[in-house]
This record gives sequence, structure tokens and C-alpha cells, in this order.
Amino acid sequence: MKEFMKNIVMLLAIMAMHPVSANVNVFACEPEWGALAKELGGSRVSVYLATTAFQDPHHIQARPSLIAKLRRADLLICTGAELEIGWLPILLRQAGNNRVQPGQPGNFMATKHVTLLDKLTSVDRSQGDVHASGNPHIQTDPRKIAKVAKALTATLAKIDTTHSVEYDRLYRDFDKRWQAAISRWEKDAAPLKGVKVVVHHKSWVYMMKWLGIKVVASLEAKPGVPPGAGHLSQILSQLRTEPAQMIIRAAYQEGRPDRWLSERTKIPVVVLPFTVGGTDQASDLFGLYDSTITNLLKGRQ
Amino acid sequence: MNLDGLDMSILGPAFVAGLLVLATHVPLGQQVLSRGIIFIDLAIAQIAGLGVIAAHSAGWEPDGWMVQGVALTAALLGAFVLHWTERHFRDVQEALIGVLFVVAATGGILLLSHNPQGGEHLKELLVGQILWVSYQQLIPVAILYAFILVIWFRTRHTRSMLFYILFALTVTASVQMVGVYLVFSSLIIPALAVRQLQRYAMLVAYGMGAVGYAAGLIASAVFDLPTGAVIVWSLALLAALTAWLIQLTSNRMRVTHTRSASS
Repeated sequence: MKEFMKNIVMLLAIMAMHPVSANVNVFACEPEWGALAKELGGSRVSVYLATTAFQDPHHIQARPSLIAKLRRADLLICTGAELEIGWLPILLRQAGNNRVQPGQPGNFMATKHVTLLDKLTSVDRSQGDVHASGNPHIQTDPRKIAKVAKALTATLAKIDTTHSVEYDRLYRDFDKRWQAAISRWEKDAAPLKGVKVVVHHKSWVYMMKWLGIKVVASLEAKPGVPPGAGHLSQILSQLRTEPAQMIIRAAYQEGRPDRWLSERTKIPVVVLPFTVGGTDQASDLFGLYDSTITNLLKGRQ
Repeated sequence: MNLDGLDMSILGPAFVAGLLVLATHVPLGQQVLSRGIIFIDLAIAQIAGLGVIAAHSAGWEPDGWMVQGVALTAALLGAFVLHWTERHFRDVQEALIGVLFVVAATGGILLLSHNPQGGEHLKELLVGQILWVSYQQLIPVAILYAFILVIWFRTRHTRSMLFYILFALTVTASVQMVGVYLVFSSLIIPALAVRQLQRYAMLVAYGMGAVGYAAGLIASAVFDLPTGAVIVWSLALLAALTAWLIQLTSNRMRVTHTRSASS
């Protein structure tokens, strides 16, 4: 028994020392930022993901490991702009880790480094579940990702100064591949310009602006509110006079409202990954846009 | 397997919250069970939430203690209604509680439909997750529960009005701390487990509940599962085991009794 206890104590001591840990422990709120950290940090970072592609990042169930991981993190990467407001402040308080508190270099909010759309000058309650600081779903436009990548590289270099040269090299390499990919995606997506679509939730404003897709209707009359009968009949009559070519939904969203509309209008539903891991093809950031554009082109036919 | 979460500073406040909830819910649960009004906690929690949503829709922005005031007032109103219905329609009290629950829940949806900003947040305000509690949050709840327990054990709480008031106060606080699933489980499961026990019923129920919370918290840390849900399962499994053991011992006692009587 004594021997057994001794072994346990030894085991715990070894675990506490973390002999094989990477230089920077990253806690990523959403999969896209975890994937970006891997691209830019290579073997220098180890990434923990708080949510998966099939979870609504607005809501999250509390698990002890979330607090434990954040307590140990050197760098917190989240979307910001109130997307995680329901759980991140509480999690930060429970973790009590000074390195990742707001205002510290280890607290990285992606939306702080790009210009947001749908910013409100005054919070008007009649508009629905909107975010006053702007639409937070920036990962649907790769040009926004490029800007975030640059800012994240600077943050990595600040947190782990000894390897700043390596981070710079990784960034240059990533940016070269990324810019080439953007031109390829834009070329592939050219036929999508001017295509009319119905969206489920207002999650795609950045992508629509990037590719020139036109949103003619939104299933949710106001973001975050389930559609009422009046709104649905209005969409139906609107689509009769101004038909759309597809209905767009994110992989994590529930499919029944879209199916309902699709059955009545014969407009196909296109499911997009929305983030890394949302579809099989979207296994990394490059795959995310490959998959998104492939699915959109397929839906257009 | 993940041993990162096995950290007393993470699990400690949650366990204390669980013990506080058990302290009041076990005796209340026995009363709820004997009155046959199992879903009263869900109804009261919904009404408290509806109160806050209504205040928000009316353009009033309750904050901090004001939210608590509004929620408590609404819950107490619900308690008065339930006391009144029990006096006048006792035979359908359980059904009326169910109706009150759906009316309050859908009332929230209707109020938020034209005024949804922050609605999601408001709903979450009144439904806690046990892992998010801190020791500072537990202090006012501990004081409130101490008062409630003193009144409970010193007076004839079986008087219907007092029971409903104490119940509304207790549940409004506990739902915000640990959420509806754990409130329901803490109320009903230990009381159910010791139903057959004539002596030490309260003691066994408390012990079973405490072990259930501890086991659930540890399991949630080790297997990295949502904490509230795991505790519900651990309470339920432990209750089944407890009830079975009680059955077993009472049978054996009966056997020895009959044997000694026949010899």
C-alpha cells in the first residue's frame, strides 16, 4: 500500500512538471483560431479547442478541463465582439490566469484586428440578437483571416521572444500560400457573383461581400429568434416573385427550418462547414474554403 | 482519461455548492414527494425567469440585486398562486403545476419575440452551471439557506403557505447556482432513494447526495464530461444502489424477525 501511494505521488509529480510541453500553450475558443495557431506556430505551440465545428459558440457546457486548460494557457485566442460573452468572462474568472486576462498580450481577440460589418452606432433592441460591436463571424472571409494571421504572429513573437524569427518565417510561408489560395478561390467562385441566396442565420455577411453573393431573405426574421408564421409566408411569397438559387445553412445549425422551406420552394439547401471541421473536406483552414466554394458551386447547378 | 481537471480549486466551490443545495433540497424533496407535486421546482424556476424577462421587456433594466429582487418577487407570486390552487383544486394540483410551467416558459418566448436583444443572455442569467460558481457567490446563498433551514426545522412547515414560500426562496437561489437539472435531481432523487427507510432517512439521504455529487464531480474531471449532467447520473445510479440495499436489509430483518418469532 505504501509502495502504491509512493507511485501515485511520483506520477502526480511527473505530471505537474510537464517535461514534454510545447513552448506556447494555446487555448482556442473556436476551431478556426486553433487551426490558424497551428499554421503560424508549428511545433512551437500546442492547441486546445474549447468548441467543435458542430457546437454553437454562443453556448457551452462547463467541464473541469476547460478551467484547467485555461489556467495553464499562455495564449487565449477567441473571436471576441461578444460572440463568447455568455461563457468566456466566467471562464476567465474561474481560471484566474493573469497571462490571458483582457489587456494582457496573451488575450488575443481576432475581431480587434479587422474592420467589422454591421456595427451599430446605437444598440437598437428591435433588431434582434445582434452584436453591438459588429458581426463576429469573420472567418467566412479569407482576407480577414490574413489580417488576423499577421496580428497573431506579432502576438506569438511577443509571448515567446526566443523563437520570434521562426514565427516570422512560418508567417511568410503561410501568407504566401494563403494569398495564392485566395486568388484561386476567387477565380473558382467567379460564377457565384450575383447569385441570390436565402440564409438561415446572419452568419455569412463577410463571405457574401467577398464573393458578391446576394442575400434575398433570412429565415430568422431577427437573428436568434425562431421564425414566426407571418415571416415565413412573407419569405414564400417573396421567393415566388424573386426566386433564389440556394438556401445556405452552417453545419452546426439545426436543419428543419431549411428543409421546410426547401420542400415548399424546391430550392436546394447547401450546407457549409462554417469553420474548420464542419465537413470532412474542411480539415484545415485551406480545406475550409475549398469545401465552402465546392459546395456553393455544386448548389448553383 | 484526463487528470488535469482533478484540482480542488476547480472542483471545490462546485462541491460546496452541491452540499448547500442538498442541505435544503433533501428535506424539501421529501415534502414534495409526499405532496405529489414533483415538477413544482421547474414551474417556480420558469416563473422567476419570466419575471426577469417581463421587467426587461417593460424597458426596465434590472441589474445585480434588482434582478434577484424581481426573480424572487415573481417566484413568490407563483408560490401564492400554487398555494391558492392547492386549497381550491387539490385533486388536480400536479396538473396545474404542469400547466403553469408551460405557460411561464412560453410566456418568455412570446415576450422576447419582439424584443430579443439579450434575450438568450437573460434566460441564461437564471440557469446556472455548477462549475461556474465561486466561493464569494456561495456566501449569500449559505446565509439564506441557514435561515430557511432554521425556519423549516423550528416551525410546522407542513402548513401549506409557509412551505410554498420557503420552496420559492430556495429554488430561485439554487437554480441560478446549479441549473434546473441538478435542482430537480437533488430534490427528488435522495428523497426517492430513502422512501422505504423508517429511521435515519434524512441522514442516509444527505450522505447519499454528498457521495453522489463528489463522485459526479470526479467523474466529470477524469472523463472530461459536462459536470452537471454527470452528477445527475451519479446521483441516479447511487440512489438505485441505496434503495436496493435498503430493500435488502429490510427483507433480511423481516426474515430474522419471523424466524425468531417462529422458533
